[in-house]
Amino acid sequence: MDLIQEGKVKRVLQDPDSAERVIIEFTDAVTAGDGAKKEEFSGKGNVATEMSHYLFGYLEGKGIDTHYVKKLSSNQLLCKKVTIFPVEVVCRNIAAGSFCRRYGTEKGTPFPEPLVEFFLKDDEYHDPLITADAIIRLGLAKRDELEFMKSVTLSTNYYLGEILKQRELILVDFKLEFGKTKKELIVLADELSPDSMRIWDSNTTSMDKDVFREDKGDLIGAYNKVFEEIKKAKPQDVEQRTESIQVIVEPKSGIKNPPGEVTKKALGRLGFAEVEEVRVGKVFVITLKRPLTTEILNHLAIMNLKLLSNPISETNKVRIE
Amino acid sequence: MTIAVLRFPGTNNENDILRALSSIEGANPVLVPSRKGLAGLEKADAIVIPGGFSYGDYLRAGAVASVETITEGVRDLAEDGKPIIGICNGFQILTEMGLLPGVLLPNKSARFVCKWVYLRVSGHSTVFTRGMEGSVIRLPIAHAEGNYHCDEDERESLNNEFRVPFRYCNEAGEVDIAHNPNGSIDNIAGIINQKGNILGLMPHPERASRQVLGSIDGITILENFVRAII
Repeated sequence: MDLIQEGKVKRVLQDPDSAERVIIEFTDAVTAGDGAKKEEFSGKGNVATEMSHYLFGYLEGKGIDTHYVKKLSSNQLLCKKVTIFPVEVVCRNIAAGSFCRRYGTEKGTPFPEPLVEFFLKDDEYHDPLITADAIIRLGLAKRDELEFMKSVTLSTNYYLGEILKQRELILVDFKLEFGKTKKELIVLADELSPDSMRIWDSNTTSMDKDVFREDKGDLIGAYNKVFEEIKKAKPQDVEQRTESIQVIVEPKSGIKNPPGEVTKKALGRLGFAEVEEVRVGKVFVITLKRPLTTEILNHLAIMNLKLLSNPISETNKVRIE
Repeated sequence: MTIAVLRFPGTNNENDILRALSSIEGANPVLVPSRKGLAGLEKADAIVIPGGFSYGDYLRAGAVASVETITEGVRDLAEDGKPIIGICNGFQILTEMGLLPGVLLPNKSARFVCKWVYLRVSGHSTVFTRGMEGSVIRLPIAHAEGNYHCDEDERESLNNEFRVPFRYCNEAGEVDIAHNPNGSIDNIAGIINQKGNILGLMPHPERASRQVLGSIDGITILENFVRAII
C-alpha cells in the first residue's frame, strides 16, 4: 500500500481498492509540544482506532458528515479521501492548556458558552492561533466554509459532551480537522480520541493526553477507562439537537423597493436625516432537524431557487449562526 | 367544454368568474379547489386562475400557490396548448410558476390600488383579444403587487413578439406614464406566453362583464377564451 502521508502518530495509506478512499493507521506514538516530547505506549494505536471508530459512528448516527467508512483492523480505519483544510478547529468549554497560557486564565474556568478557535496547521510556526479573516485572506478556506466548520464543531461539541456527561465525564475541549471530499463535501476528518480532546472526571482528574503532557501516570489506563465509560453510555438517549440557520432575501439592486422608500420617508419624518436609503427584504429563520451538512446546504440553495426567493427580483444568502 | 376555475386557500374571485363564464354559451365552468390536486384537472379543457390572496400573499404574492401539486396539471395543460387565463393573483401565480415571464412587484406607490383604468388593446391579434384589436377598454384593477417587471432581454422579446395585449392608458388610448397605476414597465397590464395560449393580466375582466357593473368590456376577453376552447 502506498504511503500518502506520515504524521506524528498516524499514517495515511492509499486504499488499494478505491482511489477515493484511504486507510488511516494509528501508531503507538504519543507526542506533545509540537513533537518535542515523544514516547511510544503499547496499545495506544488500538484504543485511538477503537474510539475514533466508535465516536465517528456515533456522530454519523446523529447526522454529522465524517470521513469515516469502517474499521479495518485493530489499528486501521477505512476513510473517505479528503483534502484537509490546513486549519485546526478547537472548541473549548472550560479554560485549559494554551488558552490559560495565552491569557493567564485560571485552569478550570468554565465559559458561559463554547468558544471556537482556529489554529494554523504549521509546525514551523508552532500551529499559531489564527483569525477567521486571516484564514480567508490567506485563501486557506472561504468564509462560508469556516462558518460551516464552526457550526459542525458546535454540533460535535454538543453530541460528544452529552455522551460523556452520561458517564459523569466532562468534555473540557477538543480539536477537529475538516476535509473536502472529491465530491466537494466538507466532512469531519482526522481522529476522535483522548489524543485530541481533554476529558476530566468529576474530580477534574485528566483522562486524556494531559496525563502524558504532565507526567501524571498511566496514559493507556486513562484512555481505556474513558473508552470503557463511553461504551457504557446510551447514544439513543442523547437528544437530537436542532440547528438554526437564516436565509436572507433582499431586493436586487436596481429594483425599486417601495416598502423601503416609505420607510425611509417615515424615518425622515422622525428626524433621522442621515438615512440615505432603506431597502426592505426578508429573513427566514429555518430550524433544521439535524446538524448542518453539505447536502443540507445544497438543499438550501434549491429551496431558495424554488420558493424562498424570486431570482428575477431578489438575491439570497444563507447565514449560518 | 369544461373550464376549471381554480381556488387556492385565499382565492376570492372564483364566484365572479364562475358567474361571468356561465353566461357564455358553450362554457361549462367548474370550481376546482386546489386540494383536489391533479385529479381536479382531469376533465379540464381550459383553466382560469382567479384573483384573491392565495395563502395570504405570504412569502410573495402567488409564490406558495405556485408550488402546489395541482400546478403540475396546469403545466401539462399549458404544454398541450389549452387556453389558460390568470387574473390578478392568478397572473402572479403564473409568473411564479414560470409559465409567464417576469414578476409582479409591489406597486410603485406602495399602496393598494383599487380603481377603474383604461387599457389599450394591442393591434396585433391574440386568441384572447379577437375583435378588440386596437380598441380602448375600461376594466377595474385591485392589487398591491401589480408592478410588472422583467429583465431587458425579456422586455425586448415581449415587445418584439407582440406579446403585450394590454397596456394602461388614458381615455383617449394614449399609453403614458401619468396613467400607469402601479409602475409596470412599458405600462404593461397583461402579457401572453410565446405559444399564445396563456394570458396573465392584472385588471379584472369578470368585474366588467355586465352593464350593471359599469362596463361590459371584459366579457369579450372571456368570450374569446371560451371560443378558443371550442
